[in-house]
Amino acid sequence: MAMKGGFSRKSKVSSDVPSSSLADIAFLLLIFFMVTTVFQNDKNRDIVWPEAEATEKIDEKVKNILNIWVERDGGVFINDRPFAMGDIAGTIGPLYAASDRALVISIRGDREVTYNTIDQITKQLVAAGVVRVVFATELEQRMTRERR
Amino acid sequence: MAVLNNKKSKVSDEVPTSSMADIAFLLLIFFLVTTTFPKDKGLAIVLPEESETVAVNQKNILHIIIQANGIVDLKRGESPQVQQVNPSQIEGIWRQDVTGNDNLIAAVKTHPDAPYKYMIDVLDALHSAGAERISLQLLEG
Repeated sequence: MAMKGGFSRKSKVSSDVPSSSLADIAFLLLIFFMVTTVFQNDKNRDIVWPEAEATEKIDEKVKNILNIWVERDGGVFINDRPFAMGDIAGTIGPLYAASDRALVISIRGDREVTYNTIDQITKQLVAAGVVRVVFATELEQRMTRERR
Repeated sequence: MAVLNNKKSKVSDEVPTSSMADIAFLLLIFFLVTTTFPKDKGLAIVLPEESETVAVNQKNILHIIIQANGIVDLKRGESPQVQQVNPSQIEGIWRQDVTGNDNLIAAVKTHPDAPYKYMIDVLDALHSAGAERISLQLLEG
């Protein structure tokens, strides 16, 4: 066989990158992220938020925020469990110490809750030594305020 | 062309699946990039330490009294004069008063039976006015 140069022989090894498993990798990644993503552990309760114009985003990691839900009838919930008013300080205190005093308490109260309930909660939080508290609100647009 | 198409078509009858992986990756990356978790939002306050009570001169206190029906009364220091205001007016009042007195403290006293939203309205106005020395209290008597 006459050969003109060194490069003319066709290689028998395929020059294609094997891509048949690409879809498997994609699905694997998809499933990995679906499984490892953790959301907040308490579910949203049926609450009508109070509205405030000065609402600001809380610049804190999600794991450092503890929600206290206060329902319209005055029921208090932490991590999906109902709490008696007197037990709040005893529950929050150790959590707050464990978080190295970084915990932010978000009071998610219904707008129609009596202030007495909120006041009792803040007093419990003071007793637990908590300093940073957020009253969760919805952002109020100036337009809706003018209509009121 | 015959009515019954018995002839083998030269067009492939397979659905092209070679680009499925690309589509899967595209979707994966799209959702990774566009997913934003809702951030908590609200009005931040700093609670006092326990037993941290400070005697404050009466003239440095702006009393904001919220009645059970949402009526807001304003009382400056020791003066017995009570002024009824709308929560939206408080922002302006605070800005005006704080220029005359740097040590002004807003004492928000809420009636125990007042809905929480009225307190938030007042707190909102104070936050909008940039007030930082706010005391939340329960209205007594």
